[in-house]
Amino acid sequence: MNAGGLVVLVALLGLVTAAAFAVRPRGASTIDFYLAGQRVGVVTNACAICGDYFSAASFLGVAAAVYASGLDGVWYATGFAAGFVPVLLFVAAPLRRFGEFSIPDFLGRRLGSERVRLAAVGVVQVVILSYLVPQAVGGGITWQLLVGWGLAGLSPYATGILLSTTVITALVAFGGMRGTTWTQAAQFLFLLAALLWLAAVAWGTGFSYPQAVGELADQPLHHPVTVDGGMRLQVEPSRLEADQPARFGEPGARYGRLGQFALVATLMMGTAGLPHVMNRYFTSPTGTAARMTTVWVLGLAGVFYALAVMLGTAARALIPDAVAGRPWLEELTVDGVLRVPEHALLVLGRLHGAAPGLGFVATGALLAVMSTIAGLLLASAASWGHDVYERHVNPMATQAQAVRAGRVAVVVAAAVSAALALAIQPEALSALFPSIVATMVTWAFALAGSALTPVLLLSIWWRDMTGAGAVAGMLVGAVTAVAMVAAGGALGQGDMAPLLMTPTLVAAPLAALTAVVVSRRTDVRVDADEVWLRLHGTAADRQAERLARLTILGVRDQTVLGRRPWNGR
Amino acid sequence: MEPADEHDTPAEVDATFRTQRRIAVGHFLVFVGVTVAVPTLTLVLDWWSAGRLLGGFSPNFLMTALGLYAFFFLLALAAATLATAVEARMLGQPSESFSDEADEGP
Repeated sequence: MNAGGLVVLVALLGLVTAAAFAVRPRGASTIDFYLAGQRVGVVTNACAICGDYFSAASFLGVAAAVYASGLDGVWYATGFAAGFVPVLLFVAAPLRRFGEFSIPDFLGRRLGSERVRLAAVGVVQVVILSYLVPQAVGGGITWQLLVGWGLAGLSPYATGILLSTTVITALVAFGGMRGTTWTQAAQFLFLLAALLWLAAVAWGTGFSYPQAVGELADQPLHHPVTVDGGMRLQVEPSRLEADQPARFGEPGARYGRLGQFALVATLMMGTAGLPHVMNRYFTSPTGTAARMTTVWVLGLAGVFYALAVMLGTAARALIPDAVAGRPWLEELTVDGVLRVPEHALLVLGRLHGAAPGLGFVATGALLAVMSTIAGLLLASAASWGHDVYERHVNPMATQAQAVRAGRVAVVVAAAVSAALALAIQPEALSALFPSIVATMVTWAFALAGSALTPVLLLSIWWRDMTGAGAVAGMLVGAVTAVAMVAAGGALGQGDMAPLLMTPTLVAAPLAALTAVVVSRRTDVRVDADEVWLRLHGTAADRQAERLARLTILGVRDQTVLGRRPWNGR
Repeated sequence: MEPADEHDTPAEVDATFRTQRRIAVGHFLVFVGVTVAVPTLTLVLDWWSAGRLLGGFSPNFLMTALGLYAFFFLLALAAATLATAVEARMLGQPSESFSDEADEGP
């Protein structure tokens, strides 16, 4: 057991709980619970979006993917960051200007259709669940390595899943979006600090990034496989050159000729359809602030992912030589290669900082898991509580009842995701995927990018979009994406499998085409002009800015008056 | 003017929407072109994967692991600055007739 690491973890979780308590919503209004009062500043919101977005897939998964697949793994990071460019160009400002609580709420009101709202709730819940499960898996993996023992007869992996899910569920149900905003922002800064610390200590011990890439570039990649009950290394074949091994510095370890394009398209399109990330844009005070928030996110994402890729490379370069004389590392490796690639950053932490170093990095990993789970649970609560309960189950609900419904949704979504994560065994899947956590998150991106993003983009940029078109587009996108991912899973290691498991390149155009064809055959809502003014006009922004200026002037005047000696009140 | 009086006309918003669409699509095409070019060059140019820069990076690795992030940020900054400037210029200004009357004076 790593007692030092556990102490660090408990202390930090205590701090996060205290922060959530201090900034909890004072009233029971839904706008406070779901949208933090729509007063979150640009930098704070950018940090909170990063905390929301940089999940176990980003913190553990990117380094793991680079560790396992070299250059092909780097494309995970590139795709994750690239996703915010379309968000900035097409979504952020209009989405915020139109307002509302969630993606289903936006689509329902924009297209004037409750059917669209309910269809979107269905897709959103599946996306959220697909995203929640790998986070819980990441929590289990981290606990397994950090603590190594389980509670109440459970395995360490199961204990990690249950503890991380329970703690964050309580925080979200208690703190709502206001509490979650600040804790997510703080959690992101902690993750960044962990990566910077690892980079600094690696450099301090003589690690040279360019030199490591140069030395690893031509080396064949291996991964551990189970043979006759034992584990041995197997050479990774190249998917680009027949009878050649895949190499760290060249493409081919994971993807064929079209695979990288399919992966990047899936991650790029998926970001704009992720409910927990898009919901954060509704918390910005104006559309312009939402746009500038995205610029900050891209800057922070660049630093974060560049560090994660470097550390995945460092793990590949440093771990083989570090095994000798370290029994704990021998247990985690097969001939110098990690059995579970997600252990890469954690092992680097222990190599460079002993038990406290492992505790520091593992705390970062658990915080990455928890901050993303928090965002996902809130998005789930917003769509169940606001879009289903308030509008269809109990339209006369009081604010307190609606918030309570959201809290129940938080607990149910968390319980289902934890149950699914418990059924997964990461070691059994590590031979099939470069990083099981990053791969599973990619499925959530695939569904979001195939079913939600095309409909969202058309709703914002095409005036003639209709509710019927949106429902048809979402259904076609979702069914195509799920069918392709399932087919890819059934094929296992075949050349077509990676292509099928990143289906957005096919599914999104099909969804968009369906939405356009059906919209052409149905009637556009009569108040489309009014909707257009809300989406693309800036009157509400200017009004909010003017009110803010007046408020500041009022506060300043009061301060000045208060200081005047002749102010006899 | 009171804060509640802020409004845009449909014609103004439509003109702004068309300009914003041009900006977004233009920047998106540049974004896709550069992003797709990186893996494409791997397939057509040996030097892209085999060459060595800065002590060990291949141009492909350097661009994927570092260069694209800088490109995304700069592209986003340029697009956001332009889009915000366009909105400020095309929306929320006093109407021309009002300005003309004010300029004419007594």
